[in-house]
Amino acid sequence: MRGEPILEVKGLQVEIPVEGAVLRPVRGVDLSVSRGETVAVVGESGCGKSLTALAIMGLLPRAARYTCERITLKGEALTNASPRRWRQLRGDRIAMIFQDPMTALDPCYRIGDQMREILQQHRRISSQAARERSLELLRKVGIPSPEERLSQFPHQLSGGLRQRVMIAMALLCEPELIIADEPTTALDVTIQAQILRLLREIQRDTGIGLILITHDLGVVAGMADRIVVMYGGEVVEVGACDDILSRPLHPYTEGLMRSIPVPGQTKRGDLLGFIPGIVPRQVGERTRCGFIDRCPYAVESCATGPVPLSAVGNGREVRCAIPAEKRDPQAWNRLAEAS
Amino acid sequence: MTVAANSAAPTIDRSMSPGRVALRRALRHGSFWVGGFILLAITIAAILAPVLTHHDPTAQDLARRFLPPIWADKGSWEHILGTDNLGRDYLARLLYGARISLIIGLFTVLISGVIGTALGVAAGYWGGWVDLIINFVVTIRLTLPVVLVALVVVALIGSSLSLMIVVIGLLLWDRFAIVVRSATQQVAQREFIIAARTIGSSTSRILLKEILPNITGPLIVVASIEFAHAILLEAALSFLGLGVQPPEVSWGLMVSEAKTQLLFRPWMVAIPGAALVALIFAINLIGDAIRDVTTPEGRA
Amino acid sequence: MTNDVLIMRGVTREYAVGGPFAKKKTLKALRGIDLTVSRGQTLGLVGESGCGKSTLAKILLGVEEPTAGTVLVDGRPLNSYDRLERAKLIQPVFQDPYSSLNPRMTVEAIISAPLAVRGVGTRASRRKRVEELAAEVGLPRHLVDAYPSQLSGGQRQRVAIARALIGEPKILICDEPTSALDVSVQSQILNLLHRLKQELNLTMILISHNLAVVHHLADEVAVMYLGQIVERGPSEEIFERPHHPYTDALLKAVLIPRPGSRLPDLGLQAEFPSPLNPPSGCAFHPRCPYAQADCSRIAPATRGEQRSYRCHYPLNLVETSLTSAAS
Repeated sequence: MRGEPILEVKGLQVEIPVEGAVLRPVRGVDLSVSRGETVAVVGESGCGKSLTALAIMGLLPRAARYTCERITLKGEALTNASPRRWRQLRGDRIAMIFQDPMTALDPCYRIGDQMREILQQHRRISSQAARERSLELLRKVGIPSPEERLSQFPHQLSGGLRQRVMIAMALLCEPELIIADEPTTALDVTIQAQILRLLREIQRDTGIGLILITHDLGVVAGMADRIVVMYGGEVVEVGACDDILSRPLHPYTEGLMRSIPVPGQTKRGDLLGFIPGIVPRQVGERTRCGFIDRCPYAVESCATGPVPLSAVGNGREVRCAIPAEKRDPQAWNRLAEAS
Repeated sequence: MTVAANSAAPTIDRSMSPGRVALRRALRHGSFWVGGFILLAITIAAILAPVLTHHDPTAQDLARRFLPPIWADKGSWEHILGTDNLGRDYLARLLYGARISLIIGLFTVLISGVIGTALGVAAGYWGGWVDLIINFVVTIRLTLPVVLVALVVVALIGSSLSLMIVVIGLLLWDRFAIVVRSATQQVAQREFIIAARTIGSSTSRILLKEILPNITGPLIVVASIEFAHAILLEAALSFLGLGVQPPEVSWGLMVSEAKTQLLFRPWMVAIPGAALVALIFAINLIGDAIRDVTTPEGRA
Repeated sequence: MTNDVLIMRGVTREYAVGGPFAKKKTLKALRGIDLTVSRGQTLGLVGESGCGKSTLAKILLGVEEPTAGTVLVDGRPLNSYDRLERAKLIQPVFQDPYSSLNPRMTVEAIISAPLAVRGVGTRASRRKRVEELAAEVGLPRHLVDAYPSQLSGGQRQRVAIARALIGEPKILICDEPTSALDVSVQSQILNLLHRLKQELNLTMILISHNLAVVHHLADEVAVMYLGQIVERGPSEEIFERPHHPYTDALLKAVLIPRPGSRLPDLGLQAEFPSPLNPPSGCAFHPRCPYAQADCSRIAPATRGEQRSYRCHYPLNLVETSLTSAAS
């Protein structure tokens, strides 16, 4: 049934020791996905969204350590799951779609072999049955002449077809949850639209939960039910998609929306909004708001201590100490002029 | 304006040049210290040979042949490592022999490095016909058995230290060429090379200022490997009588002259052998450290 | 005509593909490009993979030679200029800020290289120029002595822009200058390009697959598909009334980050064709939702001058009489 929670993550933290310090690229992230829901995790490079996804899949690089208050998948607690249990889950209950179809598929093996391997890893299934299932899914994702594709190698397919194959592979074992990490960033714009429609269609048919990781707010607008905005390793805003897009509450989200040119809305030749400065390195504990160096509304009190994520009604959460009423509407313009 | 504006003008940390970053990481590497220490010790011993011993490595004293080293009975401080079959002081021969090994290593690496790098860069940068021809030349070189070539040269011209250096230098450039070619190909496809062409840089300027500084990592690693390679080759050739000739000293020659004593006075073979092992080991350790340090290169 | 800085006529670029033992195949990266750019104009080149826009950039930069056709810059053929003269004419800004700067050179060395190569001025005078340009592109002064590894993506791109402009080139070619940058940094760089364009009256060719970016910066847009220009005209017109079905699809495919946005149904059949095997007749016909029988047989010619398109059954032609009277 729709709305039944599939994944719940609470307090996810990822640490990477580097020379002389400890990087914290993910700090206390909460995330949940329900059946049939698409949650978009939005942020730019360095915000920790990809590491969050890898942590959920148990795929973090060896140097990284992660701690978590709680991870549950359909009720099963995974907080202290063994690597063996993770291997059973991956590909079966949770599947991942990566950004670059060029590198995500093994170039040495035929498509059919790779798909069969996934099936036989998680199910007792004969080669013949595996082939049937693979064909069924290749057709489902709209790949023409699927029988031929099974015996082809990845390099013989175009980027768009490869990504469809990835989606097919993700669906082989009927997972409950799919995590898609920038699934269309490497694709051409006309192919992107097709792939996204496909994902949406599949989700409607099967009711799987989808975590969509992207930096592209346009993709988010067309796909997401809920948005989680990340900055500096933290969640800074949560809410329903249309709600956030029409009324962003966190200054970072505001800044992002203002910096995207929209033909028909942003006037040609006008200066685009921008966020001055660069993303800071995530070292050590927070002693003040993580966005303070780039925020147009920042005041003294923002520097006194870390800012918590607070609920503001309607399923919205924001990590900002300055409520909308207290914000100066000219602040962004002044910031732009000063830079 | 934002709260956190810095009042002081920011400065740049000048110690972040790629060269210095690599050096700092090397210094943190254990192998670098151990290998470096051994190599330094051997080099200093070689340079200070006349200070460390007053004996002449070629001075024969037939009355004092086969004196045992200090740790055997009848050993004396006069000849700490004993003497050889012609009464020459072993320690002196060891120290002066170190010079030969180091000189051979250094100069052959210079010669083969220059040849190999030039060929590798040309093959990697221009590709096409140039690459084909150079590959062909490398293949020819790889088919030549080095020892036989050395034998032929010695038979025709006789042998000496400088000849050894030239011969080995002209034979050991293949690995340089192969590695440099591949490194050059990788660098050449990066956009700053195209940018260099569009600003009007001449080809020689591009090769020297853009390509070469960016392949120093693999280049140094290969240099360290070939350094060891050259030393071992010299030792082998001298052992066979094709390399350094008496009265000059070489560790390979020492092993050769002591081979009949292997069962009776094993230290006479072991001492120069251990010296060779130590030197090669040290070079390998340094090479390892440099390789580890330069591998995660690329974008910072 | 002297106001046209760049004129390309019938430019074609073909590559022979396949090793010595395979059957010879030809990859047609560019097929008969006709393009003119006037002084001070910004032309946006839009297209997806395989359309040939990178090849076109390489030809303009002198990295490749066309197989056929002519390229005239300032009235003279491009290959009649020598290496240093060409450097003064056309300069690039590349997509990847991480590979377009030599990691072993300081920012000062990188930016001053175009002058140093020509032997212009002294070290001190070049340094001064570098500092002027750094201020111009918004690069903090203390970064002039830094190495690229110490700079962020946006800062590196500023260095690349400064390097391109220090020699005062006639044409600036920006090949996806913001695609590899974060969204919040993209707008900074776009604003910079916009400002420089106006202050220096730059002639700029902006290559991008991002239509929103192109619409914002470019005065004119040329849409490329499989080595040909399928539509060209002023930005506003192309965006409001595209004539070619491919342009129409491209525009629909731009996802708007506003509430209530829907995923568009582009109606494109089939997959991308390969430049090794271009379809017969109109290159777009296998994917075109409006294709008719003759589209697969006869290749459409370019119609129109300032506002041109290459289609047998163009869309939105209601205002044809008005636009052709105006151009």
